Amino acid sequence: MLAGIDLFIVIAYFGGMLLLGFYFKRFVGTSEDYFLGGRTLPFWAIGMSVVVSDIGALDFVGVSGQAYRYGISVGNFDWIGSVPAMLLAAFIFIPYFWRGGLYTIPEYLGKRYNRWVRTLASLTWILFFAVDLGVMFWASAVLLNVLMGWPVWTSILVTALVVGLYTYFGGITAVVMTDVVQLIIMFVGGFTLVALGFHSVGGWDAMVDKILNMGPEYRNHFHLMQPTDTQTPFPWTGILFGLTFVMANAYMIGNQTIVQRCLTARNEWHAKASMIFGAGLKMLIPVLVLFPGLMAIILIPGLPDGDKALPWMIKHMLPPGLVGLMFSAFFAGMMSSVDSMLNSTATLFTKDIYEPFINKKANDKHYLKVGKITTLVLLLLGVLTSPLSGLFPGIYVAMQTFLSYFQGPMFSILLLGIFWKRTTQWGGLSGLVVGIFVAFILNLFKGRFFTIEDPFLYVSWWSFVVGFVVTVIVSIFTRPYEDRNLVGLVYGLTVKKEINK
Amino acid sequence: MLNFNWLSGVSQEGAKMIFLGLFILIGLLVLLIPREYIFEGVPKEERHWYMNLKLWAWIVLGVIFYTYYIF
Repeated sequence: MLAGIDLFIVIAYFGGMLLLGFYFKRFVGTSEDYFLGGRTLPFWAIGMSVVVSDIGALDFVGVSGQAYRYGISVGNFDWIGSVPAMLLAAFIFIPYFWRGGLYTIPEYLGKRYNRWVRTLASLTWILFFAVDLGVMFWASAVLLNVLMGWPVWTSILVTALVVGLYTYFGGITAVVMTDVVQLIIMFVGGFTLVALGFHSVGGWDAMVDKILNMGPEYRNHFHLMQPTDTQTPFPWTGILFGLTFVMANAYMIGNQTIVQRCLTARNEWHAKASMIFGAGLKMLIPVLVLFPGLMAIILIPGLPDGDKALPWMIKHMLPPGLVGLMFSAFFAGMMSSVDSMLNSTATLFTKDIYEPFINKKANDKHYLKVGKITTLVLLLLGVLTSPLSGLFPGIYVAMQTFLSYFQGPMFSILLLGIFWKRTTQWGGLSGLVVGIFVAFILNLFKGRFFTIEDPFLYVSWWSFVVGFVVTVIVSIFTRPYEDRNLVGLVYGLTVKKEINK
Repeated sequence: MLNFNWLSGVSQEGAKMIFLGLFILIGLLVLLIPREYIFEGVPKEERHWYMNLKLWAWIVLGVIFYTYYIF
């Protein structure tokens, strides 16, 4: 159980977040305010929000667990799995989306291809977020159960209530500004745990020596590059082809929760700068989430479940007061991810599904109301689907598995859509549908196709390749759009012209 | 083929060189971006050297290059 001071800190944190969220309620008058913050936000807030939205309960618990089992190679996800993609997003894709005044990524796909591509992409993201919300809730509940003995469902319901309230009232401005505070709390709590952990294991050099001397199974624990025949899910080939070339780009360029933040920027420079600033902060994340897992190898060797490593460290290493801070930091990571998904999914549903298909002619207040109601419905769905994540062996890998179903094909049509004007609407639709189908088949029969246990990186790559090839082939045999219909949507038809002005 | 067995002959050190080369390539591509595009959205009289996003990108790339060089 938490000590009195810890409980006070946690309650103060929850209260502070609610107050901050409610404060930004006053800035929500239109649907643009609710979904895009009135396009007034600065780069530093957006950059911090992008980073903290990407790190949640899954990363605190799951990545430290992966680091416990496989070593620092899991850090690839925050380093090469983020930085190059964020630079590509900053300099190429984000300016397009921002200039277009878009609300959603599927909206771009709808303009570039057709409404069916937009709808399929949007529905896929909505489905993913609904499932991922459940994973988030489950991860938090597992940690709370270990730390405080709270029943799983109590933890899920308390979390949902707090996050739901400020997201419902404050929209994306509340989400972004609470994210800023949450990132600061997360960094303070996380770095404190890491500092105390290093003190316990005798510093970095001592930790490396001790782990490497524990046996041959630890010889690759300090190599970012894992051999191709590794039994971990992170062979270097998968990191290069699946993560760097596909999943990272798909996530940073095609993920609504990430891109929507950049669309709230006050001008194009702020939109670009937010991503690069975020890339700088992102490189610090492995220190927070990966190092505790490595330290736990020495402090509690032989754990059957690596996901228990971080909760154990919080419970046994931190003094009263700091436990509450770390606990708040964990909540900060989890809440920032949940609020992002809630707001983004509400945006997707309102703009891509409700407005074009259900009620085209409603006024702005009506769409604002729909966005708010969707937030509540999704919250309920996330709570109800949370037990599904218990069916997967590793929490973090579970999320990557969900992602690998459609990230590859989605990125293939985004890439071709923006760089190749010959890409046609039917090419894009075929590439997306066939690519998702192939990803599903590869995942279903992964034991036949792949030698490693969790081949989600390979699935991403091959589904990307299939999506890419199918899009190209179908595009060649179908009628392309005329150039005048593609201005603002294809690279050669916008940026170069505007630069030359 | 699906498991990239054809690349099994590349050592971990060789793989590291591929990744380091990728960072250098990205740095060179950033170099090619026109200055006007970098500052798009900022009035000319308010443009300062520290707002040059190429510089930001190179700093980030420098840190990640060093990280992969070490590990």
